[in-house]
Formats: sequence, C-alpha cells, structure tokens
Amino acid sequence: MTVSSRHAGPLLEIKGLKTHFFTQDGTVKAVDGVTFQIAHGQTLGVVGESGCGKSITSLSVMRLIERPGKVVAGEISLNGDDLLKRSDEEMRDIRGDQVSMIFQEPMTSLNPVFSCGEQISEAVQQHTAASSREGMDRAVEMLSLVGISDAKRRAREYPHQLSGGMRQRVMIAMALSTDPDLLIADEPTTALDVTIQAQILEVMRDLRQKNRMAIMLITHDLGVVAEMADEVVVMYAGKVVERGDVRTIFGSPHHPYTQGLLHSIPRLDERVERLEVIKGTVPSPYNLPEGCLFKRRCPFRMPICDTAPPYRQIADEHFSRCWLTPSGEKPEVGEDAPSEEAEAAGDQLTAEPR
Amino acid sequence: MTSQTTTDPAGDTTSSGQTSAQRTVARGGVAGAPLLQVENLVKHFEIRGGLMGISKLGAVRAVDDVSFTVNEGETLGLVGESGCGKTTLGKVILRLLPPTSGRVNFEGKELFDLNARELKAARRDIQVVFQDPYASLNPRMSVGEIVGEGLYVHGMTNKRERESAVRDLLKRVGLNQQHIHRYPHEFSGGQRQRIGIARALALRPKFVVCDEPVSALDVSIQSQVLNLLSDLQDEFQLTYLFIAHNLAVVRHLSSRVGVMYLGKLVELAEADDLYVNPKHPYTKALLSAIPIPDPTIRRERIVLKGDLPSPANPPSGCRFHTRCPMAQEICKVEEPPLRDVGGGHMSACHFAEDVTPLHERHAV
Repeated sequence: MTVSSRHAGPLLEIKGLKTHFFTQDGTVKAVDGVTFQIAHGQTLGVVGESGCGKSITSLSVMRLIERPGKVVAGEISLNGDDLLKRSDEEMRDIRGDQVSMIFQEPMTSLNPVFSCGEQISEAVQQHTAASSREGMDRAVEMLSLVGISDAKRRAREYPHQLSGGMRQRVMIAMALSTDPDLLIADEPTTALDVTIQAQILEVMRDLRQKNRMAIMLITHDLGVVAEMADEVVVMYAGKVVERGDVRTIFGSPHHPYTQGLLHSIPRLDERVERLEVIKGTVPSPYNLPEGCLFKRRCPFRMPICDTAPPYRQIADEHFSRCWLTPSGEKPEVGEDAPSEEAEAAGDQLTAEPR
Repeated sequence: MTSQTTTDPAGDTTSSGQTSAQRTVARGGVAGAPLLQVENLVKHFEIRGGLMGISKLGAVRAVDDVSFTVNEGETLGLVGESGCGKTTLGKVILRLLPPTSGRVNFEGKELFDLNARELKAARRDIQVVFQDPYASLNPRMSVGEIVGEGLYVHGMTNKRERESAVRDLLKRVGLNQQHIHRYPHEFSGGQRQRIGIARALALRPKFVVCDEPVSALDVSIQSQVLNLLSDLQDEFQLTYLFIAHNLAVVRHLSSRVGVMYLGKLVELAEADDLYVNPKHPYTKALLSAIPIPDPTIRRERIVLKGDLPSPANPPSGCRFHTRCPMAQEICKVEEPPLRDVGGGHMSACHFAEDVTPLHERHAV
C-alpha cells in the first residue's frame, strides 16, 4: 500500500451511504448504509449480483445519481473532501481529475461523432491548461500506453472503427489521461472475450503500478477479483455483508452468502459432480425481508435472523453482517434449529412481481 | 480455499447410485452410438454491396469445414470467443439457417435433405434452449401457451391434456405449477430460462442444442440452471450440444469439448484431457486467460497479442498464426488439418506435439 503525500487518511471514505430511488411503486433502497474505505494505491473489489447496489454506490461517488434517485444520507469523502457538499460545477472539476470512471459497455460510453483522440483531448483540456495540440499529443501518448499499436492513426479514428477491446482501452486511456487518484471500473471486462479481458487486466495492473492509482473494481466475476483485488467488499440487497482481505474472503469466508457464491461457481481447475446452489432468488427491492436480508436463502437460518444482524468485526480487518459466531457457529441466543417454515420458503421459487 | 480444493480426479467413477452411474456413462464419452454427425459443414454469409446490393463483395466465413460427431447420451461442449462461429454452427444444425455446403446426419436421416413435413417430424427430436431468456419468450403468450405450443403443433390438440402436460413440465424444471397462466415479464431471469428449458423438453426430444443457456444469468442462478440441465439429462436421457464462451461452465457439463477459432474447429478432446493437456496453442492461451477464483494460485498467463482477425478475410494457412506464440513459416502457408495426436485427442496444429501443459503454482 502506497501512501501519497496529499492526504493522510484513506483516499476514499464512504460512511453510511444511503441512495434511495423514489418510484411510483415505492421506495427502492438501492444502497442502504454502505461503509468502506479505499487507501491510496489500493485495489478494492466490490462483488455482488445484479441489483445489489454496487453500481449505484459507484455512481453515488461520482455524483451521477439522477431522479428519482437521491443520496439521502451518508458521507463520501475523497482526499478528506466531502463530495456530497460540492456544487455541480465543482464536481465537474473533480470528476475526471481526482476520480475517473470506466463503464461496462464502451460503445455507449464513447461519443460516436468525435474521434477517440478528440475525446481524450477534451478531458485533458478540461482539467489542465493544455492547448488542443498538447491535448492531442497526450491522447496519443495515453493510447500507446494502454497498448494500442499505431496510436497516432487510431487517435484519428472514430469509436465504430474499433473493436470492443480497443474501445475499452480508449475508455481506460481517457480515464487515466488526467492521472486520477482513484479509478472506478464498473464491470470493465464483462462485455469482452477472455483473451481480450486478459489484455485489459494486464493494462490496468501495469498502470496501477506506474501511477500508484487506487482502483474500485466492481464486478460479479470472482476470478477477476481474486486476481486483481487487495481487499474485497461483498454486497447483497443494498448492504455490505462482508469485507476483508482478498485471501481471507476467498480462503475463509464468513457470511453464508459469500460462501454460497464461492461454492456455486463452476471452476476450471476443479471438477465437481454437482454444483452447490444458493436457493431462491435475490429478493425484490420492493419486498425485502425483515431482519437479515439473506435469511430466506440462507442454509443456516436461525430464529434470531428475524432481527437484522449487526455489521461487526469478526477478525482482524474482517467484517461480516451475520449472527454466526466469528468461528462460523450458531450463537447461543439462536440455538433453536432453523424453522421449517424458513426451509420451505427457501425451496420454493416464486415469481416476483416486477 | 479450504475444503473445496479436494479434487477427486476419478470423482465420476467412484460415486455410487444409479444417477451417478448414468452420468459416468454420459460424461465419460463412451456413451452410445453416434446420434448426430456433422460433416464438412460450411456456412458463409455473403457480403453484398454496390448498386442495389447486387455485386458480391466477399463472404463472412462463419463456419468453415467443420466435422464432428455427437454420441448418444453425451454432452459435447463447444467453446470459442465471440465471432468464432459457434452459434451459427448451432443454428445451421437446427436448420434455422440454411447451410452453404456439408451434411448433418441425425439418426441416419440427412437433415438438409428433408422436406418441410419430414423436417417438422425431425424437430420433435431436436430442440433448442436460447441464450437470452428475455428475448426468446414471446411476451404476449402465457407460460402455458409458450410451453404448450410445440405440443399443439405436434398434435396434442386437447386443451386439458395439454395443460396437464405443461404443469408436469413446470414441476420438473422447478417452477410453481400455479404460474401456468402468468406472462414472461412476471418472472426473473433464472425462472425464464427454466420456462425456455420446459419448452425445449415438451416434445421429449433426444437432442438439445443449448446456446449459452446461462450466460445471461447471475452467478447464484447459473449453478441452479446448470444442475437442472444435468438432472434433466439423466431423467430424459438427453444428448446435449452445449455452446458457451465460459470454459469453466463447459467443463462442468461436458464429456467432450470442441474449441472453435474463426470458423474452424481447432481442437476436440475428452474434457479432462483438453483442460489439463491442451494440444493447440489457442486452447492453451484461452485456458490461461481465465482468472481463477483463488488468490493463492498464480497460473502461467499467455496474453495473445492483437484482436481476432475478421472472418471475412481470415489469415492464410493456419488462421491462428497471426496471434500464435509458436507460429513458424509453415503456419503462414499450410493449413493444418484436424488430426489425432494420440488417444483420440484431435488438434489442428502443425506443432501440436510441442504444446506443453500450463504451469500453475501456489503463490506464498
């Protein structure tokens, strides 16, 4: 972990963040009390299934939440500066300068009517005193840095002339052109083939080292997390359910959801007769269970799970939101066997009104 | 990882019980007689242009001279990156696309020679599960209509009879029978894929093409659907052609696996053999590119240079030579045939014997 001279504390600190969406059908608590930090130069993997709030967390950091969504509580500080107190104009300067973001679908994130070079150059000119020529030079430099051959020619080309992997490189080049402290990468390789994914991950690893940049890597691919992250945050239904060092999370996961996720993926290096399964589906955001949000699907369900479990430290730098004891056993209070009703509810797959 | 790392290389054969025994046959690849034979299958898409789109400018060679056999009761996995032709291949086998040339033989019938009536009969036995459970279900039809349509078309015109058949199918794929009158939008992705599977099984087919059946689903739902597919295979003695880009998913279900690159089948072998001992540099690179969900393992990583060449203008000789770390002069001129490199392991590489297994080590 490298510590830059700018700010002594963590680079990004999110405290009790709540981002809710006020829709006609009710309030969706997409992010509901999320707390974590990212240190300078650290890579944090944020893992979870669709709808768990991982993308909304990152958009909240970028202040890109639009109606009917709203950040209703919490603090987001970047380098000690509370982003939620900044005006929209001030945010424009912060975005792209101190924190950049790359999205899953590079085609929809690039403007089709400007060449790749112009788009990168625009970002550079916005944040530095660079002239358009200097901006273009920087664009070419960045393009070759992310491994695009013949960068001068490519800089004059338009997004539709490039392949998916190249477009994602252009996005990365643009995001990094202003040397941000934090890069938020939301599923950066999900739309790409594995061999191209390998290229992009290599570029990100390289640049992380060269620029001492912190990365918030949002993905559902546990393989990518294992390979890239220093620390992992697991989210479920708008809450962080577990956080810890990457080896702790993969080696001795505490929360039953994390365990289920790790055991249910087919692996290339191991062959099992039958995959373990997390029963049921993610609960509808309009109809979240009382108490623990995972209880309907949890194999360890206890009566105490009807009360929301605290998010607590179970080992050094290892946090979990579960009533199980730190060693993974059932606590004294909830000794009774899991209720049969709970098991039946988990077995039954019911259609959720959308 | 803790307890999950205890791999049992002979896991299939040591398990007891009837279903495991059946699966051993299925996954062992020593299953029954050939069910489907694909010979020299070619599918080109013409590129037209010029005035009124009359002149032919060339062709996208999506599938180019592919041959393989699928045996009764087995699962043949087909992997490759986007644009390699795997989906087109599946569609041509299903006769959803007309072939350019080649033959597909199913149970002794030449599929491409069948007339409309014979084709309809053959389709009872050949079904498909599509990738996108959102796009492949008609939003204006109820679950009962979707699953029962095939039954109706093939002669089960009694409504009550059909409904009870549909209810039975819903139960088998793990859906609530009460949902027969609901519409697709009321279901989650995993449930929709179950509806798609129920539809495919309605006519009790022998052969099912699964085209990326789990790639649109969330991780925790994927394993549910994969287990379902494998249970149904035992229950209905199904043969699968399993098309996917995720090599881990393919390995989990398949007894044999074929790898495609730019319209060509470059390697075909028993699943365990292919994953442990790849004999084509592309397969090896593909395997090495997959991140393993275990931070304590560091594997050799072969990063391929550049992008996939255009299938409209594939490289000369071996199509992989432009990105291959082992390429020699001969690879640019001479196209390597798919040949047996030992024990039925097929590879289309001039230097297949020189391909070494991937290094793997535990990082401390």
